[in-house]
Amino acid sequence: MSDDKALILKLQSKDETALGLIYDKYSAALYGVIIRICKDEDIAKNLLQDTFMTIWEKSQNYDFDKGRFYTWAYRIAKNKTLNFLRKTDRLIQVEDLSVYTNRTEEVADKLDYLKLKGTIKRLDAHHQRAIELVYFNGLTHREAHEEMNVPLGTFKSYIKQALKQLQQSYIKIVAFLMILIEVMR
Amino acid sequence: MEKTYILENGLLERYVLGELSKVENQQIEAALNKYPELKTELEAIETSFETLAIENAIDVPTSVKPELLKNISNATSKVVSISSQNTLRPYLKITAGIAAVFCIGLIYMFTQLNATKKQLRVVEEENTKLNRNIENLNNYLMETNKWYVAINDPDVQKYVLKGNALMPEATVISYVNDAKKSVVINTKRLPKLDADHDYQMWADVEGEMINMGIIDRNKDMLAMNYIDNTESLNITIEPAGGNDHPTVSQLITNVYLK
Repeated sequence: MSDDKALILKLQSKDETALGLIYDKYSAALYGVIIRICKDEDIAKNLLQDTFMTIWEKSQNYDFDKGRFYTWAYRIAKNKTLNFLRKTDRLIQVEDLSVYTNRTEEVADKLDYLKLKGTIKRLDAHHQRAIELVYFNGLTHREAHEEMNVPLGTFKSYIKQALKQLQQSYIKIVAFLMILIEVMR
Repeated sequence: MEKTYILENGLLERYVLGELSKVENQQIEAALNKYPELKTELEAIETSFETLAIENAIDVPTSVKPELLKNISNATSKVVSISSQNTLRPYLKITAGIAAVFCIGLIYMFTQLNATKKQLRVVEEENTKLNRNIENLNNYLMETNKWYVAINDPDVQKYVLKGNALMPEATVISYVNDAKKSVVINTKRLPKLDADHDYQMWADVEGEMINMGIIDRNKDMLAMNYIDNTESLNITIEPAGGNDHPTVSQLITNVYLK
């Protein structure tokens, strides 16, 4: 990961070019999260735009000491999406619950490209599921452990183990690339 | 909040995921300032999640970016239109932007270069280690080859010296080559002696025991002195350093030659 500090400082001093660059760097990753939670392209586009509006307006609130910039942006995107769903969920539930459940399944079938890919596919199925629930479905640990029907402690250890394995595979990939670069020189 | 409590309860993961309350967030942030190890762990968790998100990124429809930038210009134009009358400003911004990108690129390349150098050093060390290994293996091979040639000669006669009642577990194999006048023995199955004693080998020539040498305790295969007209081979236990005459009561094995 390269050092974004200069870019983020520019964003905090309201530099629109910096916002454009930050958008180029993070929008696809954030969009991947938003659309997997809400499963609707139009809603996801609006929520992404809304997320970046907030990043622009509230960039002063980002503190380098409290974590990475992407983490901060991820929390904004996730909160916006969950808030939106909570509002609309209530409406739909009042109208007709069955319509909603059918609709999500149908949409999920159509949105095959939302399936997870990359290193996570190499993890055990229960580790994949745990990460997917908290990261790409927006569930809290408490909701997710019930969803998976395992004790909360077990669920926490799933997340820990999964992250460790991801981290190790990433290190391996980076090392492999380094060697590749070395060989090509 | 205590460090172990935070680590054991997965609070850093939940902090990154934004699941904690405001108060809990503040407690975690205070702990992060206090314990640098927590900060390292946080960084690892964040990087894992971030890489995961990048791997699972989905291309955004191209219409979103121009719309976003337009909205932002509209939102800020009221302020900007009064203050910035300097027409040079946009160009400066663009130049600064490009410079920033270059800077980031350079820093990235530099860290990349350093990492690569480190990698290279590791590979070089590995290489030296491997070379050393090959050298050792070569030496070992030459040694083994030497013994193989010595015992595989058609003129070689093989005699097995089995231990007597004094030391029934002992076995020594001897390879006698009368044409080349050499004796090679394999002492792998000879029990270890204490530091005060050594095994010594003797040739019986017309009733007289002639010294063939002390058996080196550190080697499995070794060459002994060849004695003409040997009738039997004998091994005794002698005081460390060997003896002029064999201590017959300490004879542990012997074999008659054909």
